[in-house]
Amino acid sequence: MTAYILRRLLQGGVVLLLISAVTFLLINLAPGGPTSAVSLGRTAEEREAVLKQYGLDRPILVRYLDWLGGVSRGDLGKSYNQGLPVASLLAQRMGNTLLLALSALALTAVLGVGLGVLSALYKNRWPDHLISSLATVGMSVPAFWLGIVAIIVFAVQFKWLPSSGIFTVGQEFSLADRLRHLAMPAGVLAFTLMPNVIRITRSALLEVLTSDYVRTARAKGVSEQVVLLKHTLKNAMVPVIAILGLITTVLFSGSVVVESVFGWAGLGRLAIEAANGRDYPVILGVTLLVGAIVVVVNLLVDVLYAAVDPRINHG
Amino acid sequence: MDSTLQPSASTAPPHSRFWLRVRRNPVGLGAFIVLCLLTVLVVFGPSLYRVAPDSTDPLNILAAPSPAHPFGTDELGRDMLSRLLYGGRVSLAVGLLSMLVGLTIGTLAGGIAGYFQGWAETVVMRLVDVFMSIPSFFLVLVIVTVFGNHPLTVVVTVGIGFWAQMARVVFAEFTKYRGREFVEAMHALGASHARIMFRHIFPQVLPQAIVLATLGVGWAILTEAALSYLGLGIQPPLASWGNMLQNAQAYLYSNPMLAIWPGLFIAVTVLAFNILGNALRDVLDPRG
Repeated sequence: MTAYILRRLLQGGVVLLLISAVTFLLINLAPGGPTSAVSLGRTAEEREAVLKQYGLDRPILVRYLDWLGGVSRGDLGKSYNQGLPVASLLAQRMGNTLLLALSALALTAVLGVGLGVLSALYKNRWPDHLISSLATVGMSVPAFWLGIVAIIVFAVQFKWLPSSGIFTVGQEFSLADRLRHLAMPAGVLAFTLMPNVIRITRSALLEVLTSDYVRTARAKGVSEQVVLLKHTLKNAMVPVIAILGLITTVLFSGSVVVESVFGWAGLGRLAIEAANGRDYPVILGVTLLVGAIVVVVNLLVDVLYAAVDPRINHG
Repeated sequence: MDSTLQPSASTAPPHSRFWLRVRRNPVGLGAFIVLCLLTVLVVFGPSLYRVAPDSTDPLNILAAPSPAHPFGTDELGRDMLSRLLYGGRVSLAVGLLSMLVGLTIGTLAGGIAGYFQGWAETVVMRLVDVFMSIPSFFLVLVIVTVFGNHPLTVVVTVGIGFWAQMARVVFAEFTKYRGREFVEAMHALGASHARIMFRHIFPQVLPQAIVLATLGVGWAILTEAALSYLGLGIQPPLASWGNMLQNAQAYLYSNPMLAIWPGLFIAVTVLAFNILGNALRDVLDPRG
């Protein structure tokens, strides 16, 4: 087990290193990269001075290794546009994104697993058809448009919820205010995450429900409720946990758009602001951070998976 | 499952077996018809409805639907119906072309890795790991930022966001088939690697690739729409369903329909591609 964890840790590290190399090279070798961004509207001498100031006059490999060395010390460089260290910008926004992401994840877990279980129990009957239609729709509706429609309905028509922001400006902190601001973005994000969870839960539960040990339990006269709650659901959750890595990537992709629709000052918004302002160190930092989170989640899932299911061979 | 109940399906010649399964899937057929209608609409619509999508009408901004402007006008007085039709061309074209890019890169990379294994596998599959670990939208964001937002760049970028998934599936299939007898037989007959890969293994993988590609078009349309909505994709005055939503959010209180229509078109189109993809999975690949 320890050897397995160590090997997965090493693999995760390699993937992370590759992510950093791919994004760094992509950004620096491109025709519109940092060297051209700083040369806009400057004379040749000014350009050289600026390049020197940001260290852009050195060979790319040196710059990459230098940047990587900085990253290992927690220094992600400085934002071109804001002059602040990238690491502190990320730290500022991280909390907001985590709040949104974890709320959406909790909603997804409850609703997605619940609907998936319903779907499996009513296999090929109308609740199943209704839920799988809902899942297909959830995969097809653009998240930002769903957000806009939610604003039209809940903020414009009924005036129940605020249309944007994280809290009411100039008001003291209150949980109710936070939740009101959180409701729409977290709901929209959860709606886009749910289809995956519903599908996996449904198929995993159906597989377990037809297995021999469940048939034995039923034959022994164990009630349906106990079969479901005690014998099957726990095993059916294993594949759901296994796609947590995938869900994390979908979650971050979705948060970029949802944060923009609802004016939520998180990492996704930061990425968009940086992309619009060609703030390369910031884009690089956000991408690396998000990639690192995905790698860590995948790592945890694999370790958890191996710990929960002794049949998995970690040799 | 119900093939045992209808033995005619398994004894019929292959093409009629295909049609039998198609007929048993009316929803998929419906989605296909919707997509055909949408295509006809955006390809031929503009020649029938001859209103320029980018001519502004300052006296008629944010106008309600009228005989002159059946869907009303936007904040610059541009005709919404015309923009929806032209925007549909762009969105559908970007979706289809991006999918082709992703399909080509994914199939080539996955096929080579699966067929040759060894270092080709190591290189390609580690790269797949990397691309699967960066949330696709961030990847697309990075590429568009550095390479700019020319429509063709957007196409390639969105395609790159999709290749890793394709490569993973094709890799698994090529790995499965490379050791089969028919491949060994072709080797013995002196066929080249390329011939074996493209003429003999690829057709086996095709059904799965088609299913994934169909779902991929939906994903590509959504990604382009999101990029354009954020101002990083297709740039105005060229209309796309995504960038039409960009400014609509400012007029939610007065003109919510500006935001409703483009999104509805995106949702219906992507829904149709997703339903078609799932139906094709049942029809082409009943094992999966």
